[in-house]
Amino acid sequence: MHEISIAESIIQIAEAKAREQGARSIQVIKLRLGTFTTIVPDALQFAFEIARQGTLSREARLDIEIVPMVVRCVVCEASTQPVNGICLICEQCGFPLEILSGEELQIEYIEVDSEREESPWRQCQNEFQSRPMC
Amino acid sequence: MEAVPERISVQTNVLNANQQMAAANREQFAGHGLLVMNLMSAPGAGKTTLLEATIKALQGQFRLAVIEGDLQTDLDAQRIEALGVRAYQITTGTVCHLDARMVARALDVFPLNNLDLLVIENVGNLICPASFDLGESLRVVVCSVAEGPEKPKKYPVMFNKANVVLINKIDLAEASGVDLKELAANVREVNPHATIFAVSSRTGEGLTTWTKWLQQAVEVHASAAMVSV
Repeated sequence: MHEISIAESIIQIAEAKAREQGARSIQVIKLRLGTFTTIVPDALQFAFEIARQGTLSREARLDIEIVPMVVRCVVCEASTQPVNGICLICEQCGFPLEILSGEELQIEYIEVDSEREESPWRQCQNEFQSRPMC
Repeated sequence: MEAVPERISVQTNVLNANQQMAAANREQFAGHGLLVMNLMSAPGAGKTTLLEATIKALQGQFRLAVIEGDLQTDLDAQRIEALGVRAYQITTGTVCHLDARMVARALDVFPLNNLDLLVIENVGNLICPASFDLGESLRVVVCSVAEGPEKPKKYPVMFNKANVVLINKIDLAEASGVDLKELAANVREVNPHATIFAVSSRTGEGLTTWTKWLQQAVEVHASAAMVSV
């Protein structure tokens, strides 16, 4: 999986949200990444460091929460976390297992720097610019 | 005053843009009552040859067209066109999978009216195509006997997402030392729900079972589409 294009998509979504809120820069991007996806966390971190250059995310940290795969039998309802290899047939009763989690690839939240109060200099500038020309 | 870090909820899937485009494709296909198949495999599993054999068996039964995806060349599209079936080639350059936007662009130049079945032959790759919804109705994965019995366990996401698995080149089973039952069992482990067919495009063995199934799928889909109009 080419993690660079995934990193670029992450940055695009994070930046769109940040701009919408008027943020100056992004500090953290929190990602939920399931183990039953084709994406490797280390490769994604590496790709993120490259892709974030020159963007609002250039100082951002990518926090990856690994979401383990959990499967459950549709018949006997036994729930397990596959460890070695994926087997979607229930060991207890032989019926199929459904996937409850592990397929996530989701940006949960971002943390941004937002200006809370304007500096005195900025207030003065704004006032000057909003005054009508006579 | 110092800038204070602020947490903003996002709750957005990273592949959201592709999913939205795929949904738009799906709506367009539904508008035409068109059954769309996303055909995937490792490179060299025999997708195109199997598709040729499928077309030869079903030509004249209904109207079909093919979108081909490769990094380079239009060799595969040429092969399909040689059978008298309209084929459109997407060359991705370096991208290792088709995505919904590429398919949407192809649909602009490739009229969908008067078709019953559209086959999208994806780039040969068992990893990336699994993550990119194209708007298809059916996901079909081809796995050849020559690849050994372990492919489904090594590429569980791809096999898990398949509706149909076509075990191909069964004429080579003895020469490859591959037990077809073992390969089928490995498919079932990562996907208990997949419909599995064992075929050889070269000898024709098992082909009729697959093509009859596909023909029925096209007919059922078409009549369901008429009912919902």
